[in-house]
Amino acid sequence: MRYSWLTGLMALLMLSPVHAEQSAPVDVSIPVLVPITGFLSLEGTSQRNGAVLAIRNAPPNLRVQYDVVDTGVSPEGAVNALERALDRGSVTAVVASMLGTQMLAMLPIVLERKVPLVTVSGTAQITEMGNPYVFRFFPGDDVTKVAHVRYAVEELGLRRLALVYQTTAYGQSGRRHIVENLAKHGLAPVFEEALEVQVRDMLPVLSKAKAANPDGILIHLHSGPTALFIRQAAAMGVGIPIVAGSAMHQPPTAALLEPEELRGVCAEANASPVSGGTPEMERFLQQYRETFGVEPDGFALGQYDGTMMVLEAVSKGARTPAEVARALAGMRYDGVAMTYKSDGRGNMAHSAVIMCFDGRTRVPKVVKRYDNITGALTP
Amino acid sequence: MLTLQLLVNGVALGAAYALCALGFVLVLNATGAVNFAQGDMVMAGGFVAIGLANLWPVPGLVLLPAVVLLTGLLGLAFSAIGYFPLKSRPPVSVFISTIALGVIFQNVAMVTFGPEPRATPPLLAAGNIDVGGLTIGIQAIAVVAIAALLVAGQHVLLMRTRLGQSLRATAQDREMAAALGIRVNLMIALTFALAAALAGVAGLLLANTYFITPTDGTNYILKAYIAATIGGWGRLHGAIAGAMLIAVFEIMFPALPLLVPFLPAAIHGMFSQTSASIVLYVALLAVLFLRPQGLFGEIAQRRA
Repeated sequence: MRYSWLTGLMALLMLSPVHAEQSAPVDVSIPVLVPITGFLSLEGTSQRNGAVLAIRNAPPNLRVQYDVVDTGVSPEGAVNALERALDRGSVTAVVASMLGTQMLAMLPIVLERKVPLVTVSGTAQITEMGNPYVFRFFPGDDVTKVAHVRYAVEELGLRRLALVYQTTAYGQSGRRHIVENLAKHGLAPVFEEALEVQVRDMLPVLSKAKAANPDGILIHLHSGPTALFIRQAAAMGVGIPIVAGSAMHQPPTAALLEPEELRGVCAEANASPVSGGTPEMERFLQQYRETFGVEPDGFALGQYDGTMMVLEAVSKGARTPAEVARALAGMRYDGVAMTYKSDGRGNMAHSAVIMCFDGRTRVPKVVKRYDNITGALTP
Repeated sequence: MLTLQLLVNGVALGAAYALCALGFVLVLNATGAVNFAQGDMVMAGGFVAIGLANLWPVPGLVLLPAVVLLTGLLGLAFSAIGYFPLKSRPPVSVFISTIALGVIFQNVAMVTFGPEPRATPPLLAAGNIDVGGLTIGIQAIAVVAIAALLVAGQHVLLMRTRLGQSLRATAQDREMAAALGIRVNLMIALTFALAAALAGVAGLLLANTYFITPTDGTNYILKAYIAATIGGWGRLHGAIAGAMLIAVFEIMFPALPLLVPFLPAAIHGMFSQTSASIVLYVALLAVLFLRPQGLFGEIAQRRA
């Protein structure tokens, strides 16, 4: 009789909610749908690494399942990957491609299925469509281009700026914001030209830019073209400051150039993990290197912070995808790169840094930090 | 001075394009099939050189023979997998199989080396030399020299050797060549090896100056295809001329406002690298409409 009473008490304890919260881990499913092949594979791989590292660092009360799926670079590839992931079962949130065209294709699906997408896509349009399920953890051009232009104009004192950008959506968006921000300073580019990603020789565009007699050059190009441009500028002895877009902060871009070629080149980004600077950043840097054997960039860090924020939301009680979306929309989160908070449209990142190369190493130094550019962090 | 500078850059780029286009035409002539993986062979050559340089950090010129050998072997394997099992099928089968093998190459490179752009070591040394105010990259000079040597060597091989005669006979008429006792399959396999080796060298040369990623092959095959079309489908020297024309055009056209002073400023915006691509493809269409045999005439019997 006493035995059965004890057994009953134990069973009751095991079933109680308190016990369940303390010992039974919460199941979380976060598919990672990123472009690992195609022209954005470098950035997509960083995205994957950041997400995977965050999942490995998940709070102990969570049991996270994830699959990494290569979306390629076509919208249909991303849509198929998303639909397969959502059809497979309960999904908490999705780490979604940083490619704007893929994000735009995925948005209607998550609006219908009410599942949050967490991304580092820079395409402004994705958070301009009133979709409450998209969260961007990389500062958009409305943030980074403010830093880009302010540093060139306010810190370097440049007035006659040439602008070279990519013909892709990324390039066009950056160009628009750069021109708008220059106009706020009463300036306009003295020269501008768009380049296709396949362009190999930068001599023509550099010659034309130089002929316009600029005192500085702003570039907004992908990784390879950025390195080609800077190498050719160094070979030509252009001799004026170059302030580059975020591709220049990626260690593989710097690895293509000799330190001397990088002398005087600056770039904007959300962060420069390889530059270290804070204990949290140093820890992230060390763990990333140990796990993946490569150097992290700002995309990896942004995706890491975004995924960690999702995990924290679940850890604090959000269970359904809709609850996670609500938590992301309302929470303030201190990540490794910066403090994140939604501006009401899913833009979570509001800070940018400027880093510069000294010509001796390929590791840049952060020289200027621009926080809370949009004002969204102001209480 | 700028004109000369642009011309030098154009010739260096064209020399590397020419190696890719030559290989493309060699296979086209030998098999009648379009090898859409020729651009991926360029990429493979770049990554083979990068892999070798990781193991043995020496100048590219030292790596060159190994790159030729390894990419040549890759070409042999390519023919064994992508051509011979399908050679009696309709040409579209070979066409598709080369695309499939190209995608496989891309993904193998992606898995092995990662997605980031990489550079091969310079052939001799990095840096530039100043020749009367003209800044010429040492790599650019070396690229032109190596490409010229290879083109000349390939000409001697085809025109002055017994093996070359057999290769040409196979390219001209496979059935007749077989009737004459030439081992046609061996000649075709050797053609694939030669084409891959030329592409491999192009990869080694291009990837130092312009870097290489696993997906860059697509761009190079388009250039080879256009070069072959402009030069004359199946014409070896036409492919070289076509490649040179494309590269020089790509570099000179955007700079025309600087080179032609009397061009009205209002139309300067029309001369960009983006519009250069548009004009290049319009020129390609014009060649197809107005002179479908290309600048030097067409010799291939079948166009894919």
